[in-house]
Amino acid sequence: MPEHTNNGMQCQEFDGLLADAIDGILSGSRLDRFQAHARACSACGPLLAEVEAGRNWLRELSEVNPPASLVTSILASTTGVETQRLRVHAPTPQRASLWERVQAWLSGATQPVFAQTWATVRQPRFAMSFGMAFFSISVALSVLGVKPADLSHVSLRPAAIRHTYYNTQARVVRYYENIRFVYEVESRVRELKRNVQPAEPAPNEATPDKKEHKDNTTQQPEQKQERNYSQPDNHLVLASARLGPSVNDAFRKNDPSVVLVSTYRRFV
Amino acid sequence: MEDVHVTAMLVRRCVAGDAAAWEEIVQTYNRRIYNICYRFAGSGNDAEDLTQEVFIKMYRTLPSYDASKGAFVTWVTTITRNLLVDHFRKTKQDRVTDSLDAPVSAQEDAQPLSEQIHDQSAPPDASVRSRELGETVHAALGKLSPELREAVILRDLQDLDYREIATVLKVPEGTVKSRINRGRAELARLLQRTYRQVM
Repeated sequence: MPEHTNNGMQCQEFDGLLADAIDGILSGSRLDRFQAHARACSACGPLLAEVEAGRNWLRELSEVNPPASLVTSILASTTGVETQRLRVHAPTPQRASLWERVQAWLSGATQPVFAQTWATVRQPRFAMSFGMAFFSISVALSVLGVKPADLSHVSLRPAAIRHTYYNTQARVVRYYENIRFVYEVESRVRELKRNVQPAEPAPNEATPDKKEHKDNTTQQPEQKQERNYSQPDNHLVLASARLGPSVNDAFRKNDPSVVLVSTYRRFV
Repeated sequence: MEDVHVTAMLVRRCVAGDAAAWEEIVQTYNRRIYNICYRFAGSGNDAEDLTQEVFIKMYRTLPSYDASKGAFVTWVTTITRNLLVDHFRKTKQDRVTDSLDAPVSAQEDAQPLSEQIHDQSAPPDASVRSRELGETVHAALGKLSPELREAVILRDLQDLDYREIATVLKVPEGTVKSRINRGRAELARLLQRTYRQVM
């Protein structure tokens, strides 16, 4: 804007007073000087006319009515609930459904303490999460073989509960012990214990016998006591003890504790 | 103008979880915010979405409102203006840089603005002419730069005083006055050019 000086007012000053002049709050000598400058200045005069015209154009714009659903949408997106007053204003059906009555009771009973919580619960994402959790639990129960129909047969008497408890415990222990892995681990542990323990000392008499056997090079099988068990049942073995007086007397002189026993074997 | 104490009490009740207080705030300010958004964004659908966003933001930040720092209406308008600026920046790439000869909206069958004004073969009644004039001015308002547009809307359509506008726009009062004058003058030039084409 060119800097003109008319009637002691510069264009910059004119520009500063323009808004007040349009608002009608300029008065006295300042208003006179302002008007004189507008008449004289080729730039500021048209500017004043344009600003006035622009303001008059803007007066043609009337307020627009927001959509009727705007308040409801705002309340639903902020608090998540429709308030009591909105429900009174809104056209309501003749008889509220059960769900609507429950909603009304919840919104009335929970406000203001649980208003935030209830608003969160009513969010679609929460409902989605809840649905997914319910679905997962249902699948898990069906895989485990739990049927809802079985729950109706459950007895809640203390004795029955105790019985169920011990039954379940026993089943769990049985199941645990029957697991192949557990069984193998236990058997390995037993083997390890057996290997770690020292071998039992052999009887003293065994040593000379073994030596004798080692010296025996006849390749004859060892004469064992159990050879009789391999014989057929029709081989009878008879044993008898002669305890005649003459013999007893002869031995009694040497060693009274020794009893002479002679065995007769007869194979039938 | 709002009663400061009543509004402060309303805000306190709302922060304490009183849903009725929040509803009262929504009922009181939704029209004002919708009009600002409508005049700035230009379309009813955008204005509805933006108004909803403003209230969501307001609901979240309501505890931060300090009555000693300014009127509630100034605080609300500042939130609205900031959101509108964000929206303007986001949609800058998508916006079509059409002129006054371009269609005003999709509903008007791609008829240029000058033809809409010129078409006076059958003189419409006063209400229709007033509506058409309003649409023309609204279209011209959309051609202003955002800085001039917001200043003009807040002053001439929302009747905020210069100090409140300076608070909302975070600029000195002198700048506010200058922007308002330039906005009005620019609007007048746009409309005069349109009518010159028509006549």
